[in-house]
Amino acid sequence: MKGKGCVAIASDRRFGVQTSTLAMDFQRIFEMGPHLYVGLPGLATDTLTVHERLRFRLNLYELRESRKIKPQTFSAMVSNLLYERRFGPYFVEPVIAGLDPVTWEPFISAMDLIGCPNVPEDFVVAGTCAEQLFGMCEALWEPNLEPDSLFETISQALMNAFDRDAISGWGGIVHVM
Amino acid sequence: MFGQAILNDNLPGAKQHHWSPYTDNGGTIVAVAGDDFAIIASDTRLIQGYSILSREQTKLFKLSEQTVLGVSGCWCDVLTFTRTLEARMKMYLHEHLKPMSTPAVAQLVSTMLYHKRFFPYYVSNIVAGLDQDGKGTLYSYDPVGHCEKNRYRAGGAAGAMLQPLLDNQVGLKNMKGGVLPDITKEKALMVIKDSFISAAERDTSTGDGVIINIITKSGVEVMHFPLRKD
Repeated sequence: MKGKGCVAIASDRRFGVQTSTLAMDFQRIFEMGPHLYVGLPGLATDTLTVHERLRFRLNLYELRESRKIKPQTFSAMVSNLLYERRFGPYFVEPVIAGLDPVTWEPFISAMDLIGCPNVPEDFVVAGTCAEQLFGMCEALWEPNLEPDSLFETISQALMNAFDRDAISGWGGIVHVM
Repeated sequence: MFGQAILNDNLPGAKQHHWSPYTDNGGTIVAVAGDDFAIIASDTRLIQGYSILSREQTKLFKLSEQTVLGVSGCWCDVLTFTRTLEARMKMYLHEHLKPMSTPAVAQLVSTMLYHKRFFPYYVSNIVAGLDQDGKGTLYSYDPVGHCEKNRYRAGGAAGAMLQPLLDNQVGLKNMKGGVLPDITKEKALMVIKDSFISAAERDTSTGDGVIINIITKSGVEVMHFPLRKD
């Protein structure tokens, strides 16, 4: 979710296989920079693999360019990585949130599993309870929320949505930048 | 590897046909029951695929002065089900010389749906009304008649989108000190209006307008407000 000079990204902590819960502390949001986070909901093995491959490409970028990547550029990088596997995709639907390293402009984007980007002005959602998340975010979000309000808003949206999905939940984690 | 489709339907002579007796005509219903009132609302759009069949089709059916039924899903089943239900209610009236109460209607809906257990009515039902003590009641159903008494429910196409919002705003779930007091009529109306506005934004089959029926001891009050038409 976008706020006034800030962004927030949140996810649940459950990792399971249909009705079996295997972990309640699974990390699916990764820090790619001090003000850049990517969430990778979907197949857990692809969550880990995409994160590792992305970290590899990002490290090379930062070595060659000697600067922190912009969120827009990072979003394009993720899109490219996914589209390379167009006919045998990674089963993840990335969500990116960050602040521009120079201007501190908030940025959010989301993608489908083959890298089609979506760059809106308000919020993005992904996961098994995406419909529930859309309903909550659409009702609760308003523009120019301060960081504290943005935290409350995204938390309520996440918790009430995953409480209506049998395979999501077991706690949530929120990052506000 | 590259060109092989998983389901190759260009084989000479063979073609896979599929006919379904059901179709999804969209429609969303939201209902909230308070202490002395019940509110049930539906959108007014009827769709088939990406086409709009009507912008002014309500999905609410007034069964009596105390009971309103909201039905959405496959429109042919909606019509047949409501007509059969109204006929059954008329039979009850003639046999018992009194109109059916809301809990009686609730039970009848459940049994009527289960009678078609092996070729179901493809419908999502919500019965809203006042019981014999004048208290607001709400019953929600699955397509084969599982019945549940609720204080609030969202059903139909955008049901999954709206139910968590009702949990949060009407049920006060995940809120500190959230104990469920009885919701006021004004707050319930506000939450219902906001729900439909949100649903119209994100669900293609919801939009055009909302019809709201407010059931109190003085009867059924009807309200209407417009939604986005895209």
